[in-house]
Amino acid sequence: MRFRRCLVRNKTCLVMVLLAVPLLLASMAFAAEPPKKVLIGISKIVSHPALDGVEKGIQDELAALRINAQYDLQNANGDANTAASIANKFQSEKVTLAVGIATPTAQSLVNTLKTTPVVFSAVTDPVKAGLVRSLKKGGRNVTGVSDMTPVKQQIELLLRIKKIKRLGHIYTSSEENAVVLAGIVKQACKELGIEYVETTVSKSSEVKQAVQAIIRRVDALYISTDNTVVSAMSAVADVAMKSRVPIMSADPTSAAGHPVLAAWGFDYYKMGRVTGRMIAEILKGKKPEQMPTRFMTSTSDIDLLVNLDVARKLGLTIPKDIVKNANKVVQNGKLTSK
Amino acid sequence: MIEGIFVEGLIYGIMVLGVFITFRVLDFPDLTVDGSFPLGAALMAQCILMGMNLWLALLIAFAGGVAAGVVTSLIHNHLKVPNLLAGILTMTMLYSVNIRILGNRANVPLLNQETILTKVSGLLADIVPEEYVLLVFFLGVTLVIKVLLDLFFRTDLGLTIGAMGNNEQMVISQGVNPKTLKSIGLGLSNGLVAVSGAFAAQYLGFADVGLGQGIIISGLASVMIGEFLILKSNRISVLTLCAILGSICFYAVMYLGRYYGYLVKMTPNDLNLIKGLLIILLLVATQSKKLKKAAFRSVVKHD
Repeated sequence: MRFRRCLVRNKTCLVMVLLAVPLLLASMAFAAEPPKKVLIGISKIVSHPALDGVEKGIQDELAALRINAQYDLQNANGDANTAASIANKFQSEKVTLAVGIATPTAQSLVNTLKTTPVVFSAVTDPVKAGLVRSLKKGGRNVTGVSDMTPVKQQIELLLRIKKIKRLGHIYTSSEENAVVLAGIVKQACKELGIEYVETTVSKSSEVKQAVQAIIRRVDALYISTDNTVVSAMSAVADVAMKSRVPIMSADPTSAAGHPVLAAWGFDYYKMGRVTGRMIAEILKGKKPEQMPTRFMTSTSDIDLLVNLDVARKLGLTIPKDIVKNANKVVQNGKLTSK
Repeated sequence: MIEGIFVEGLIYGIMVLGVFITFRVLDFPDLTVDGSFPLGAALMAQCILMGMNLWLALLIAFAGGVAAGVVTSLIHNHLKVPNLLAGILTMTMLYSVNIRILGNRANVPLLNQETILTKVSGLLADIVPEEYVLLVFFLGVTLVIKVLLDLFFRTDLGLTIGAMGNNEQMVISQGVNPKTLKSIGLGLSNGLVAVSGAFAAQYLGFADVGLGQGIIISGLASVMIGEFLILKSNRISVLTLCAILGSICFYAVMYLGRYYGYLVKMTPNDLNLIKGLLIILLLVATQSKKLKKAAFRSVVKHD
């Protein structure tokens, strides 16, 4: 028996050594390899149509600008702990520049990569997230693009179509972006003299119930760029249409396929292109400190979608000038883009 | 990279020690961990933002974890709820509690804040090269916690808890109330998990309600890898060391998957699948080991 235990001990040592050798070799290999060309590490919190769009936009923009870059595309599978592993990986690979898509991944990169430029994207409030001190200029080695939407203008647009007294809002309590936006919606309602009715969910399966809970108390629903709620858009639209309540959405991408009255926002793929442009500037030697946080506000960035079929069903008329300004119009079940 | 693996392995190793106590010593599969990990992170983050003494903040995080564990044990003991369900109940409730603690937010950043880690980096900067500062610190912290645990399990109380995990009836027949023991064990376990969460928040640079997602699986996988490394020992000091080594190995495997996965056309999305398969593989391996041992024993008996 004693002899056996000895064997087992040795086996354990063997296993440890076997595990340690490749690790050491790997670390040596990485330490010895000088960066030959531009290596860009992209870290996103989860694979999801909007965030994937950002990732694709970045790569397309840099390809269009003829920047020969290699990419290391990483995703944390929704587990914020993994964000640190990814940041460490980028550090040991000595990436030229790192991109953090969404709040937790961007925070991890800024926390770990002290000397490498970090560009964030799809972060609603970079100041609240602690990434930059102010929106007017970048932090040390940090700048990026915010996905803040023009909340007040969106609600004003809705008011021009329908005179509402009470606005309902559903958001995810575990998504920092959504929580920040909810605060802004509340503030905007206060300024416009509308009553604000809110409810929160923690996962997409709760969305339908949440809509049913508040639908009787509201004249219209507002949906922000909330990943979880947007993924349950069909449930929201279904309940809202049955109760004849219009929906104003901030995400035209998801609104096109559902009976949503109007959507005003931007395409995440376009935001990726804008992020790519910022990355190119930094690669050409511009200091992130001198680059303020970009917002998707210029007319070329913005998408406005109106659904005339939904308006007819709800007995509403959309003013002519709004229809004229819209670059996506749904009529008789067909989507026409201008 | 190598120091990154060890630092992560050691930080989450504290959590693995907690999981080891419930799963192996108490024989109580406790899922509270998914809630108590972000609870520790949230408490630590808020205390740091309030400008509290950092070690006191860590103590508060520990106390919060203990409370979470005790709640689970109370639900299990007094409402006759099965242990898995009791853990899930507490974990679910903790989601709301964590958001409250973070001030109705989902994420609180700790970038540019004075944390234990920045303080330690300042202190050790002259002695240790910069990239190894955290490694040295966490090696110290995790080993101190491990040694304290070993000492605890040598006391009468600790030994009784271990005995209860083995054979509850025996403990009852000795006139000890197993309910109290379960509360103490669960409290201690979740306290450690919360401390791990508190360090993780400082290491990551933020506290987020989503931090607990899937933590229990990582913990369990780490415990199993640790057991796989050493076949059979009933010495607590060896077992706790195994838990920590298992944690380091688990994070090493995850890192390797991230680093070399592309060689076998693997994307980061597949890592969760790898986690699950790893656990199943380990279960199979330990099963076959046990069978072999049993066969070996029967041969010895025949002789």
